[in-house]
Amino acid sequence: MRQTNRSSWFSLPLLLGALLLIATPAFAAAKTIKLGCAIAFTGKESRTGKYYVDAYKYAVEKINAAGGVKVGGQSYQLELKFYDDKSDPTESSRLVEKLIAEDKVDFLLGPYSSGITIPDSIVAQRYRMPMIEGGGASGKIFDKGNKYIFGTLPPAEDYFASTLEFLKDQQPLAKKIAILYADDKFDVSVGEGTKAKAPELGFDVVLYEKYAEGTSDFSSILTKIKSEGVQAVLVAGHTEESINFVTQAKELNVSPYYLGLTVGPTEADFRKALGKDADYIYGVASWSPDMKFKGAIFKDNAEFVKDFEAKFGYDPDYHAASAIADVAVFKDAIERAGSLDKEKVRDAIAATNLQTIYGTVRFSDNGQIKGTSVVLQNQKDEIVQVYPSLEGAKAVYPIPPWDKR
Amino acid sequence: MLTQVIINGLLKGGLYALMAMGMSLIWGVMNIINIAHGAFIMLGAYLTYWLFVSLGLDPFVSLPLSMALIFLLGWLLQKYLINLVVQADIFITLLLTFGIELLINNLALLFWTADVRKVNVSYGAANFAVFGATIPAVRLAAFVLALVISAVLFYLMNRSRLGRAIRATSQELEAAKLSGVKVGNIYAVTFGIGTALAAAAGTLWSILFPISPTMGGILTLKSFVVTIIGGLGTMLGPLIGGLILGVVEALGTNLFGSTYENLISFSIFLLVLIFKPRGILGGRG
Repeated sequence: MRQTNRSSWFSLPLLLGALLLIATPAFAAAKTIKLGCAIAFTGKESRTGKYYVDAYKYAVEKINAAGGVKVGGQSYQLELKFYDDKSDPTESSRLVEKLIAEDKVDFLLGPYSSGITIPDSIVAQRYRMPMIEGGGASGKIFDKGNKYIFGTLPPAEDYFASTLEFLKDQQPLAKKIAILYADDKFDVSVGEGTKAKAPELGFDVVLYEKYAEGTSDFSSILTKIKSEGVQAVLVAGHTEESINFVTQAKELNVSPYYLGLTVGPTEADFRKALGKDADYIYGVASWSPDMKFKGAIFKDNAEFVKDFEAKFGYDPDYHAASAIADVAVFKDAIERAGSLDKEKVRDAIAATNLQTIYGTVRFSDNGQIKGTSVVLQNQKDEIVQVYPSLEGAKAVYPIPPWDKR
Repeated sequence: MLTQVIINGLLKGGLYALMAMGMSLIWGVMNIINIAHGAFIMLGAYLTYWLFVSLGLDPFVSLPLSMALIFLLGWLLQKYLINLVVQADIFITLLLTFGIELLINNLALLFWTADVRKVNVSYGAANFAVFGATIPAVRLAAFVLALVISAVLFYLMNRSRLGRAIRATSQELEAAKLSGVKVGNIYAVTFGIGTALAAAAGTLWSILFPISPTMGGILTLKSFVVTIIGGLGTMLGPLIGGLILGVVEALGTNLFGSTYENLISFSIFLLVLIFKPRGILGGRG
């Protein structure tokens, strides 16, 4: 009698548990689309990598909150699967393979930096898996006939094109220019493209020099700039190098009319590290917070900038905006394809014509976004778009010499 | 322009010299090639940064404090860890310091993130002109400080009891033991001094350049090159090696372009190894 009693006490919770187990899948039946991404959480690219991670997550959160992605009358939630590629191209491509083969992700988001995007995109191609990336702009990603890679940073070769156009109308004219670039894939493309374009617009390239990525000492280059009487300096490098370059320009009292750097001037770290010495330094970007675009996920650019800052505690720059566009394009393309079929989605991405906070996204045949960069300037803690000119914004040109600030 | 290039080189060479001094000392006395040297420079730089940001301490004021703290860290590491294997083959200590480097770097990445930071002192980019050349004041200060620290170290090594004990241990271990030198302690103090020198270099570095947790690797390499060029076993070695490297790099990059900075440093390194394997001052091998 006792015996039976006890066994029934045992079996009751067991039975309930079993019922629950059977029932759970029915509750969690919301369908998901998995986006995989191997990106730098650690290592030398991790600082910029974080902008992408934050923005990817934020975009997914916004889309899911607004009802997810609608495919054939059904609603899918987006899900992100991240791996840390440790800023290492080999590790990154291995992880992309793992995302595809083991984690069975549906689509891929790109890593940060051109050098890492190249091997990753080749893996994506091998598995015929569409990848949209916002962190690699080198032409070398897109010249391989790879049908599965799409990029939302404008071509590196044209990065300084808008700067040169801006400069040619300024007085006094900075005829003698210096082009300096780091020796990684992206910056070499920037350097070569700028050098090809400068003479067409009437500039003399009096100094064209490559430096090793991670160089901390620019005194030799700056000494040449001074002795050659260079009037405009264009640098294609990375944040740390940009900070060094500006500090040392001040140390050695080098004051050209124009000093513009690709990566750095738009970032919060740059201003934090340099303080008021960041003032008047020019940058280029595919996007600026001042741009008046309507968004696909956000109402407009202004709302995105405000909400992003409130959520993450730092101002978004073009990296984050480009990443938001990547996710927006996936949502749009999957909905237009009306299916999760990889080939159909690929074709839909290629046909994208989407208005986002990052501007209108359309892709060239090689998969890279059609578009150019804008010229920005640091003015008293603010990043101001100075070319193409917007109402109420004015470039400070020439840059005041260091000893007259 | 040539004057400016040579001045740039000399000033940078002073910093190289200070960086290499600690490595040379540890190597010369204990036959340990301290791969973690750059990591200690990084720690010194971050200590300076945090003291500057949180307490508003000027880097030149906080310098002795940073040196003292890193001395303690180095002393503890040697006393309780490296001393366990110090008599073993050189590759064992090499591996151990390599491990220490990985540990320090990754802890730094974890706690401080990979953000690029900079000690932003108001006089950071002050400069003055002499005979048409521009001289950055902080670099000059760093250069002078490197000379002062070398002089102090030189005096300490040659005149103090401690210095004599360190030299004795380095030259004739058995005899030093017989004369009552506590070798374990001497080793710990030597490693501490070496890391404190690294910290001093880190402090100066943090005023001149942005810092990040992974900055140490290349600095270990440069220190190594300077040590080899200057020669082991003499206090003047790193100073001479540093100045030579600084000037040759400045001239070389001016002539061939900046991409070749490391190519130039390692070429001198090779040339010294081929023609003067014991370094320019040719001390004990």
